[in-house]
Amino acid sequence: MQGKSEPGWIWALQVVSVALIWAFVLGIGIWVINLLLLSHRLKDVPSASVGISIVAIPVFLTGAGVLTYVFVGLRRGRKPDSKDTSK
Amino acid sequence: MKSDSSASPVAHGSAADEFQDTDLLRSIEEAGIRFRVTATLVFLVILGGWVLFRRQILHGLGVTGLNQPVAWGFYIVNFVFFIGISHAGTLISAILRLSQAEWRRPITRMAEVITVIVLAIGGFHPVLDLGRPERMMNIFTVGRLQSPLLWDVTSISAYFMASTVYLFIPMIPDIALLRDRGVRPRWLYAFLAWGWQGTPRQHQVLEKAISIMMILVIPIAVSVHTVISYIFAMTLQPGWHSTIFGPYFVVGAIFSGIAALLVVMIVLRRIFRLDRYLKDVHFDPLAKLLLLMSLLWFYFTFSEYLTAFFGQEPSELRVFFHKFSGPYAPHYWGMVACNFLIPVLILSFRRSRRIPGILIASIAVVIGMWLERLNIVVPSLANPRLPYPTGFYIPSLVEWGMFAGGIGTFILGFVVFGRFFPLISIWEIQEGREKAIKETLERTQSYLPSVSASSS
Amino acid sequence: MARWGMVIDLDRCTACGACVAACHQENNLAAVGPEEATRHSRAFHWLRLLPEASGAHADVRMRYFPQPCFHCDNPPCVRVCPVGATYLGEEGIVGQIYPRCIGCRYCMAACPFNAKVFNWYDPEWPGDLERKANPDVSLRPKGVVEKCTFCHHRINRAREEARAKGRKLRDGDITPACAESCPARAIEFGDLEDPRSRVSALAHSSRAFRLHDDLGTKPKVYYLTERSEHGEDSRQRGA
Repeated sequence: MQGKSEPGWIWALQVVSVALIWAFVLGIGIWVINLLLLSHRLKDVPSASVGISIVAIPVFLTGAGVLTYVFVGLRRGRKPDSKDTSK
Repeated sequence: MKSDSSASPVAHGSAADEFQDTDLLRSIEEAGIRFRVTATLVFLVILGGWVLFRRQILHGLGVTGLNQPVAWGFYIVNFVFFIGISHAGTLISAILRLSQAEWRRPITRMAEVITVIVLAIGGFHPVLDLGRPERMMNIFTVGRLQSPLLWDVTSISAYFMASTVYLFIPMIPDIALLRDRGVRPRWLYAFLAWGWQGTPRQHQVLEKAISIMMILVIPIAVSVHTVISYIFAMTLQPGWHSTIFGPYFVVGAIFSGIAALLVVMIVLRRIFRLDRYLKDVHFDPLAKLLLLMSLLWFYFTFSEYLTAFFGQEPSELRVFFHKFSGPYAPHYWGMVACNFLIPVLILSFRRSRRIPGILIASIAVVIGMWLERLNIVVPSLANPRLPYPTGFYIPSLVEWGMFAGGIGTFILGFVVFGRFFPLISIWEIQEGREKAIKETLERTQSYLPSVSASSS
Repeated sequence: MARWGMVIDLDRCTACGACVAACHQENNLAAVGPEEATRHSRAFHWLRLLPEASGAHADVRMRYFPQPCFHCDNPPCVRVCPVGATYLGEEGIVGQIYPRCIGCRYCMAACPFNAKVFNWYDPEWPGDLERKANPDVSLRPKGVVEKCTFCHHRINRAREEARAKGRKLRDGDITPACAESCPARAIEFGDLEDPRSRVSALAHSSRAFRLHDDLGTKPKVYYLTERSEHGEDSRQRGA
């Protein structure tokens, strides 16, 4: 029970979930950039709003980054005798 | 059953081989009829709200009590209210971790759960308020960045993401514990546990990730409620156009969040018999913090209203008197009683600063802060600058129904969460037993004057 | 490029309400019904007669301001719209894009003049009003915000006619429905930037003022104060 790796399909599901999180974050990034380009084209947005939006993107990237770091780090930190050896 | 020390996520070779915290797993492993009945009842309340809301979908926002000029009401009040509560969750949990306050250990999980749930509820409320909700995608395709509502969408999404990550990562060792105990559904825990085995390297990764998140989450949390206040402050309306709104809303959010956290702690302690874990010593500092926030809230409120009154600007005065002595006097003074008088009277004295008193004070604050949101939204809208007749707002059944549904969703969120995951962070309690005492001792010793070279 | 504005002479205005009725008819405004308008406080006008009482008992003075949207040059409503459904056009008209509006009503909360109204229900036109709808003005669905447009459909029409006739737009070519219907000819409409237009002259008169122009929204509707019996304006009298 202990130290056993998960069945393959659960592992795949985990990878998919992390990938989805990245898809979400990149989606948000694209959305914000889209709005930034629109506001640049219309030229009616105060610079503060642009600043706020630009700051938002790294926040999302950090969130996804931390999750990925944990995911990969936990994989790597497993005991070497477990079936699913770390990459 | 469970006694293999090397197998548990606990540090190895500890004297306490036996798993001491089976209490904390009771809600999960022994979930039975009580869970099902509660969940069903609450679900029915939520369903009732949605049945009423169907009227709004079919006929339009006319089924609410909104009108000309009071175009915003319960939905916006509850939007601000629920998101305000989110603060204590992540903010307190992050600040307590950052300041290495040891008494945080049984509290952080509940706090983080509160945040995620109310952010989901609160963040959804503006959608309930839309005249054409099916056009919501316009925000993503043609959104205008100069609008404070857009800033809101951005910051609330960021906060939701960050707080979900901040809730999930410290849950991993507990999920792994459930996986190893074979709790059903097994696939769920195996999926979420991300291969946790409790090795030193994994602990390092976890600690590092938690440290990053706890620092990241604080500025996001502050920005969220500041940006929400900007929805009001960035307009020209009397009573709204005030520079104090940013800090005022943040203080109010922390205030209501701590109160909600205390209510959750007291209720869950009672239901799940967690007296061993949530002791008086855990409630006392939070209660004192609530007292402090009450005084701080009063200071901000006093400043805000004194400024409005002293300036004697006619539009501002109309809004002021609407709250002070006009139609909103009961709501206004009720707010002052709930947010200031009751908490200060109860929490200032050690004799009343016990769990029953704290519960009363916290419930009062939650109600008072809801009243505060109402007092901010409606009176300013009801007193236009131009000589229109003073407005009024009588919320309809649909709005009350969705309010009840929102609270119901909050309760259901906790009921479901507690059914599948421990409400108190088991591994952090164990870490507290094994490592924290020594670490705290060393830390305190390091503060004291250094030992001179001659003595040993 | 024109910059459309309006001047309303309070001395000529008798508060008869013809402008309000004309606006309703011209712009296919929904009839909300007496119950909604009074008990639920959802009166629905693009142009309203705003009553202002001043003075104390036995010497109360009533004024009625025909109040359309002021089409501010620095519009707070435009700045807060999350989807850009309300926007400031090139000729100074604050427009509303009905298909884009998501009905959040932030612009309503932000307008210091309460110029915007909302379709709380599906709009209704009792009797055969629906048959007689003005084809130049689009119908709005429930859940969107709307307001006075300075009858910009008439501006467009006047432009087309002028082009068809091979000449430029002249001052007086365009009259919004309210101006056209006023029996006292109290409402003038035109290009504020054209030094020869009537609105331009009137807007610079000593009797001209705007409501709450201290807010900095730069409204483009000017009012002319009442004259006294002797023809002086109220400012000269010291009133």
